[in-house]
Amino acid sequence: MALDPKFVGRAYGPFTYEVGVEKLREFAYAVGGSIPSMGFSGVGPPSDLHPFLHDKEAAAASEYGAVIGMPNFAVVFAITPFSKACTDPELGVDLLRLVHGEQEFEFLQVVRPGDVLTTRGTITDISAKKSLDFLTVTTESHNQRGEVVVRAKWTAVIRG
Amino acid sequence: MRAFAVGDTFTLVRTCDPYRPIYYAAASGDFNPIHIDRAVGEAAGLGGVILQGLCTLGWAVDAFIHYLGDPGKVARIQVRFSRPVAISDTITFSGKVTAIADGRLTAELSAKNQRGEDVLKGAVVEGRL
Repeated sequence: MALDPKFVGRAYGPFTYEVGVEKLREFAYAVGGSIPSMGFSGVGPPSDLHPFLHDKEAAAASEYGAVIGMPNFAVVFAITPFSKACTDPELGVDLLRLVHGEQEFEFLQVVRPGDVLTTRGTITDISAKKSLDFLTVTTESHNQRGEVVVRAKWTAVIRG
Repeated sequence: MRAFAVGDTFTLVRTCDPYRPIYYAAASGDFNPIHIDRAVGEAAGLGGVILQGLCTLGWAVDAFIHYLGDPGKVARIQVRFSRPVAISDTITFSGKVTAIADGRLTAELSAKNQRGEDVLKGAVVEGRL
């Protein structure tokens, strides 16, 4: 069943996310090849993980002054409008037929512990190609100083 | 300061160990059952669980961080997910710097599995110098 293009323009948010240092570390550990577990596993960071992503002293001496998030930590806080659109009962997307098709991120500010990030998103495209439906949500996330932290474009592909 | 040049190349190899989709689910919040439940992955026609595409994107970002030397200088990434990554797949990320202008570096990136198939297409990363 084709998605109805009338939903283009539908907005989701704002959604707020408060950043903690252990979550930033866990995310970097999981992507970097270790276990995202601080107390329990004791495995620690992958040997080749950049120190700014986990080492408090190295990060404090950097221009950022604190541990920063991997740029793609944005998936944790900025995905909400996309998730809401994919599960919006009025759109009726079959999640078992959905795959992530395309992704764009523009990173404008680093993310630090204590940041409060607010994300808003809008459905910017619904289209069909052969038996595939495409659903695109565009998001923008701001920090507590009103700076744009990340702009993103999330595209799902739904198999017919 | 490090010298960057058009034509520079960089590479990173990552293997999807059996627990990686679960670890990534825990860290990212993406617990879609196609990533953590083999029966659901099979029922969806995927032949088992597949790695979250955004984890593959994270590996691509990490490959670029290793070259750029500073995670805070990654300015942009764009990818198309062209093929799922399954358990035990080994992905080789190969980047090539295509432009340096106005304090910005652009690189094209390929990501191929052990059979030489592209798991990402049209991948581009940009960094601030």
